[in-house]
Amino acid sequence: MLYAQNREIVIPGQLIAEGSHSIYGGAFKEGNQIYSSVIGLMNVRGQDIRVVPLGGPYVPRQGDAVIGVVMDSHHSGWILDLNSPYVGNLFVSDLAGRKVDLDKEDINQFLSMGDVVMAEIRDVDERMRVLLDATGPGMGKIRGGKMVEISSAKVPRVIGKKGSMAMVLQSTSGCKIKVGQNGRIMVWGDDQRMVNAVVEALLMIEREAHTSGLTDRVEQFLEKMKSEGK
Amino acid sequence: MMEKPEKLIVDGKRLDGRSPDELRPLKIEAGVLKRADGSAYVEMGKNKVLAAVYGPRELHPRHLQQPDTAILRCRYNMAPFSVDERKRPGPDRRSVEISKVIREAFEPVVFTKLYPRSGIDVFIEVLQADAGTRTAGINAAAVALADAGVPMRDLVSAVAVGKVDDTIVLDLMKDEDNYGATDMPIAMLPRKKVITLLQMDGHFTPGEFERAIELAMKGCEQIYEVQKQALKAKYSTKPEEE
Repeated sequence: MLYAQNREIVIPGQLIAEGSHSIYGGAFKEGNQIYSSVIGLMNVRGQDIRVVPLGGPYVPRQGDAVIGVVMDSHHSGWILDLNSPYVGNLFVSDLAGRKVDLDKEDINQFLSMGDVVMAEIRDVDERMRVLLDATGPGMGKIRGGKMVEISSAKVPRVIGKKGSMAMVLQSTSGCKIKVGQNGRIMVWGDDQRMVNAVVEALLMIEREAHTSGLTDRVEQFLEKMKSEGK
Repeated sequence: MMEKPEKLIVDGKRLDGRSPDELRPLKIEAGVLKRADGSAYVEMGKNKVLAAVYGPRELHPRHLQQPDTAILRCRYNMAPFSVDERKRPGPDRRSVEISKVIREAFEPVVFTKLYPRSGIDVFIEVLQADAGTRTAGINAAAVALADAGVPMRDLVSAVAVGKVDDTIVLDLMKDEDNYGATDMPIAMLPRKKVITLLQMDGHFTPGEFERAIELAMKGCEQIYEVQKQALKAKYSTKPEEE
């Protein structure tokens, strides 16, 4: 029994369903009743219920690819800001991909303060201490490009269904983007004007994430910017 | 300051023309501040209150961090120009107490266990006061917390009830508060009718108390509806055309 429609906006404490549904985030159960715990969009798929939040900070989850900024260093690694209540910990060997002898090598040659790193979250413990790994393909220190920060709740919208939105953003503008689950997006491109247009488009996605037909509007916007530049 | 009126209720109508069980005009707007994670602006009669929420975010000073839960911090503050006589700025006995009771009103609804070691900060600024600022502050803070995406069991709605000229009235305004017999602010979770704040200045007989609670529940239900609308209104606006 459902009390809210699919894609309806629900608020904390609102009764959204009753019965034996499975909850995948954004909701909680009291007895047989299911209530939303955040302001978000109701999402029903068969017996599965989930409320997709419209806001809130990024909470690190194992397996996420994130973009961090080096905040601090210690004897064998760095502390990265993850645009979240929690910081990430990256060890040298998890960046270099090999054993690093700390007595022989200076770790400052790898990263310095303010550097941007793409990394995967290898582990998050119950105290929310985050262990990062930057050895995977496409991971590691990021050079050049523009960084955009949006709410992490809007990241799925930037990627789109099966990557459709990310595809549109890249193919229409000729730019390259990398999306971190923590709401940070890097944009590279030869044409500075199109890079700025992508940034604009990303901010537009953040503003209008809860509306439909967004991919088409983004495409139109980028096409317009492209034709104006010629 | 107004002189004490002879009667606060004339022919069943209060000084501002309301009936005893009527709320003051209520206006709530969510997401008014761009830099805060969540915010709300509330007008309850002549009260004007702004609430801002930051977090959950990394908590400083670090010794306040709890390894298994987020902590809630609350600051209720009155602007110097919010009252007739300039209020000395800064925290005082009254605002420290109100900050504490407001924090305790929210502690049971926020899912703090989801954000260990972090902090959630709630700031309530009273811009204009006309009795019942703590209840207006709670109503604003509830909307601001929801707007910030903080997971909660329910919203919190608050209203004051009191006794004026031996009549139980809802949502006291300034003169009723100053010259009336009793003032009792109540905050509750509208869904489960759980009271999370109850203070009282004055006296009630047990019978009056029961009637007052009943009246407050009705008031909170009305406020809850407005809070709900305010939250939904923020996201139902159509995107502007390019």
